Amino acid sequence: MAGPRELSDVALVAEVLRKDRKATAEFVARYADHVYGYVRRRLIPRADLVEDLVQEIFLAAWGSLDRFRGDSSLRNWLLGIARHKVEDHYRQRLREIQFLEDEERPSEPMALRDIENVLVERQAGRRAREILASLPEVYGVILLWKYWEKRSLREIAQQTGRTEKAIERLLARARHHFKKKWNERHFSDRR
Amino acid sequence: MSDISQTDDRLFELLAQQPDEAEGDRAPSRLKARLYSALVRRQQASGSLRSLGETRTRGYGLCVFEDLWQRATSGEGAQCFNCCSLCHARVLAEHLERAPIGWAYCPYVAFGKK
Repeated sequence: MAGPRELSDVALVAEVLRKDRKATAEFVARYADHVYGYVRRRLIPRADLVEDLVQEIFLAAWGSLDRFRGDSSLRNWLLGIARHKVEDHYRQRLREIQFLEDEERPSEPMALRDIENVLVERQAGRRAREILASLPEVYGVILLWKYWEKRSLREIAQQTGRTEKAIERLLARARHHFKKKWNERHFSDRR
Repeated sequence: MSDISQTDDRLFELLAQQPDEAEGDRAPSRLKARLYSALVRRQQASGSLRSLGETRTRGYGLCVFEDLWQRATSGEGAQCFNCCSLCHARVLAEHLERAPIGWAYCPYVAFGKK
């Protein structure tokens, strides 16, 4: 952004707080890719919401930028805000989307076909993303929240106003559908 | 929790740890343009921006329009005004991916660079 020099995080924040437009442009140029990438991976399959959420994150960051002390990197600080916003989205979606709390969990155990090879070939992350994108939204949200954001069933239940048992059942169904899609994909790849 | 669930938990935890360098993880340039415009608007809403003269003194380059604006206007209000809000480059950059604009030191141009 043709700045005076490569500013440290703390110095850049000070310039942005002084409302220097060029420093503000530098702030966006440095960190938009990181925030966008994170939000995009966490909002599967709602790609339509990604840009608005990224904007919300940057405006929230501006609102609390005077509290940035440099204890962590500016990138991690921004990703912390992003994580809160993503979890707000999950909470809202799980409250809004109707799902049957009494439906039984799938009893049939199922393995993921060819998981070892996919891990070795380092394609598991990409394949998981593709499958998450093809699932009904409620299953994607619960899987991402539990495993990618590492939240416990209790935390999710508390935040959504559902029972822990209902969340556990929903998660079991989500895993079942995920594995089914994974295995269908395995067979179609082999044909 | 059953054994099956615990096995599944470990499997999904493993999947979640896998790197995924998704294509298109770079933010679109028009999004960066919109972010910048929104931030500057928000900054201006709570008081004056840093003046163009002071920005230049800090070592930042001004684009041709900002330079002209700085030379042609006087008074703090004008010097601290968000002149990008009047510029066609902003409109193009907010709506077109890698908009065809090429002014040196224009932030909207920089957002389009790879």
